[in-house]
Amino acid sequence: MSCEPILRVRDLVKRFGGFRALDGVDLDLNPGEVVGLVGPNGSGKTTLINVVSGIYRADAGSIRLGEREIGKLPPHRVAALGLNRTFQVPKPFRSLTVRQNLEVAWRHRRRPGPGVREALEFVDLASLAEREAGTLNTAQQKLLDLGRALVAAPQVLLVDELGAGLGPSELELVADRLRRVAEAGTALLVVEHLMGFLGRLTRRVVVLNAGAQIFAGDLAAAAADRQVVEVFLGEGH
Amino acid sequence: MPRVWSGAAVLVVVLALCLVLPQLYANQFLFFDLMVYLALAQGVNILYGFTGYLPFGYVGFFGTGAYGMSLAVLKLHLPPVPAVLAGGVAAVVLGLVLAPLLRLSGAYFAIASLAASQAVYYVVANPSLTGVTRGPYGISLARVYHPSQSYLVMVGVLGLTLAAVLYLRRSRRGMVLQAIRDDPQSAAMAGVNVVRERVLAWLASALIAGLVGGVFAWQISVFYPATVFDLSTSIMAIVFTLFGGTGTLLGPVLGVTVLFGLYNVIGVSEPQYFQLIYGALIVLLVLFLPGGAASLLKRRGIDVL
Amino acid sequence: MLVYALTAGVLFGLFYSLVGLGLNLVFGVLRMVNLAHGQFVMLGGFAAYLAYVRLGWHPLVTMVVAAALFLGIGYLLYPLFAPRLAASTDPEMISLVFFFGVAEMIQALAVIGFGNNQRSIYAPVFGAAPVRLLGERFPAAWVVSGGVSLLALLAVYLYLYRSRLGYATRAVMASREEALVSGLSVGRISALAFGIGLALAAAGGVLSPFLLGGVNPGVGVGLTMTAFAVVVLGSLGNPLGTVLGGLIYGVSLMLMQSYLSEWTNLLPYLLLLVVLLVRPSGLLGRGVRHA
Repeated sequence: MSCEPILRVRDLVKRFGGFRALDGVDLDLNPGEVVGLVGPNGSGKTTLINVVSGIYRADAGSIRLGEREIGKLPPHRVAALGLNRTFQVPKPFRSLTVRQNLEVAWRHRRRPGPGVREALEFVDLASLAEREAGTLNTAQQKLLDLGRALVAAPQVLLVDELGAGLGPSELELVADRLRRVAEAGTALLVVEHLMGFLGRLTRRVVVLNAGAQIFAGDLAAAAADRQVVEVFLGEGH
Repeated sequence: MPRVWSGAAVLVVVLALCLVLPQLYANQFLFFDLMVYLALAQGVNILYGFTGYLPFGYVGFFGTGAYGMSLAVLKLHLPPVPAVLAGGVAAVVLGLVLAPLLRLSGAYFAIASLAASQAVYYVVANPSLTGVTRGPYGISLARVYHPSQSYLVMVGVLGLTLAAVLYLRRSRRGMVLQAIRDDPQSAAMAGVNVVRERVLAWLASALIAGLVGGVFAWQISVFYPATVFDLSTSIMAIVFTLFGGTGTLLGPVLGVTVLFGLYNVIGVSEPQYFQLIYGALIVLLVLFLPGGAASLLKRRGIDVL
Repeated sequence: MLVYALTAGVLFGLFYSLVGLGLNLVFGVLRMVNLAHGQFVMLGGFAAYLAYVRLGWHPLVTMVVAAALFLGIGYLLYPLFAPRLAASTDPEMISLVFFFGVAEMIQALAVIGFGNNQRSIYAPVFGAAPVRLLGERFPAAWVVSGGVSLLALLAVYLYLYRSRLGYATRAVMASREEALVSGLSVGRISALAFGIGLALAAAGGVLSPFLLGGVNPGVGVGLTMTAFAVVVLGSLGNPLGTVLGGLIYGVSLMLMQSYLSEWTNLLPYLLLLVVLLVRPSGLLGRGVRHA
């Protein structure tokens, strides 16, 4: 893939009080590419996703989506420009039905993409369309979260631990769907603890520790990298 | 019957009752107060039921509307009806000034809004502002006093309020507000401009309280700052709404009818017993029936619109 | 006049720190805003009044007894409501509404039990002669109240920072989830914190008639707001910040009363609004949750 990166993050810094949760992170994502983002607890993975998606404001650095600088935009503008995300703990609109959950996103979409019915079928929730989202189990809520993000037709999708807490068949479904999303040209950044799951999606990983990138490259090479191993063993993994 | 029509039917029935009942039972003040609480409860409902913000200081808008209306009559010499509109505008302006409070999360917002209403009260009632607001000495609108006209205008304001709630229950905007209430972050990632939608709901509910306050001032025509900035007005509106059930059209109507009725039976002469009862009701509801009385109806398959 | 205002401000500030600390401790540990805090303070005030008038108890005796009693009540009540609230969809708001109901009940019961009148205690119970501090004369009751508040604050400090249970309490304040995972009995620690919160409210309440000129069932709402202002000023969840917040509040109150007395009523509300809008994390804060 020789094209320009669709997402380009440079020198990203996020502080909470005196604590630097992100300490100068660089990251490139190409269209259709899947990159795994790994690191011990507290290394800044979710913070990175929160900052890139506009939920938190960065203290320094730049985030470019295509040609646009999005670092200072509120999340709904980021979503409109084609960057979306899922949440580690799924956050559906509990009092709305499954269908209405996607309708909210569909009515605010700014880019041509799948319809509500299409998205429901894609994430395997068509049979539950009229159920109240609060009554779904965790796996179903995660799929709904994914569906909500896909309706916005993202060019970049940040996936925060979608695999955690899913059973083997659900993992298989999610991995397949994410592969298909990437094949259609969307760039994916996948935060994951489950290395097996990640290995089914990509070979390319970025390892964060203490808010900074300590490794970028092949998954197998990461497992052999001394610094990476130390960081994970130090955590007791 | 499509739900829009059943909603409209409820609206017509409530308004018709408000017009007819005073002819059958000659206590216009009672029905006027009932309408005041019906409208205020729906105003609380628009904010709390659709965005999750609980405005303990809601009475601040009511009092601002009352003073806005009165000063429009006394200083600008406006006729009463445009003055009531001016009261609504005054409340919306206060709402805009306080809009930054919406940056705060739930409990902080609830308490900050209470603080804001008290701050407005102490400014309005301050002796050093007697030249502007007449300070603690209160307002007299005897010149424009006209109880039957103000009663009709109140019916109009109530109609407007019920229609607004009906619109939110039926429309895309209502669905979006509910999404924001359920999860603001997800809503933002779904492309919703969370801040704008919240501010609009906040201003709509401020407008309602301002208009109601304006008509209230016209109706009683002589009042003190403490009358229209009385925290128990907020508290009753909130309790009625929570008791009936938020996020629906009929919940607050039910809550006001039952509890305002109870208030008139025991609350006027023995307010402390009424306070004890509704305090206990709130505690029990929160622990055992968070959806309010309307959720009991819903469980039996009755549509609460 | 300035020295007088500053000194009186510190004395009152210590009292407000004590009132705020209970609210803050409960928030820090339970993640719930006890909207009935001011009503518990009010009950402390009535306890002081009734014990003095009916039984002839010295207020400091009442203080110890009332604090112990409220500690026990809080500890025993906690398991009846807290787990249910914590399990709800939105614990922060639901618990706020719950305590709002509790506040209304307490106030109603106080009116039923004690009547609606303002009650005050014969102030010279703490000594008839004014006390000289920095060349100014202050009512003995103010000085004693300030001193007793300081002692109570020290006791809480020693508990939180020098005892094993206090250490566990601070661990729960830092992160409830991690405290659960690491095997602390979070339920018992929280029940104790709720009890201590009420005990501090009662202790402050016993002093309140002397500083506020009396007690009546309606003082609760204003006290809750003031306590919240004091806590937010220093930052929620930070016990030391509350002491700072109380002192700032007390001094500003006395300065307002000396130089701008007509606007004194506005102070707690304006302070609260300004802090929430300008620096929502408080002066020593690490984080208020934004919407």
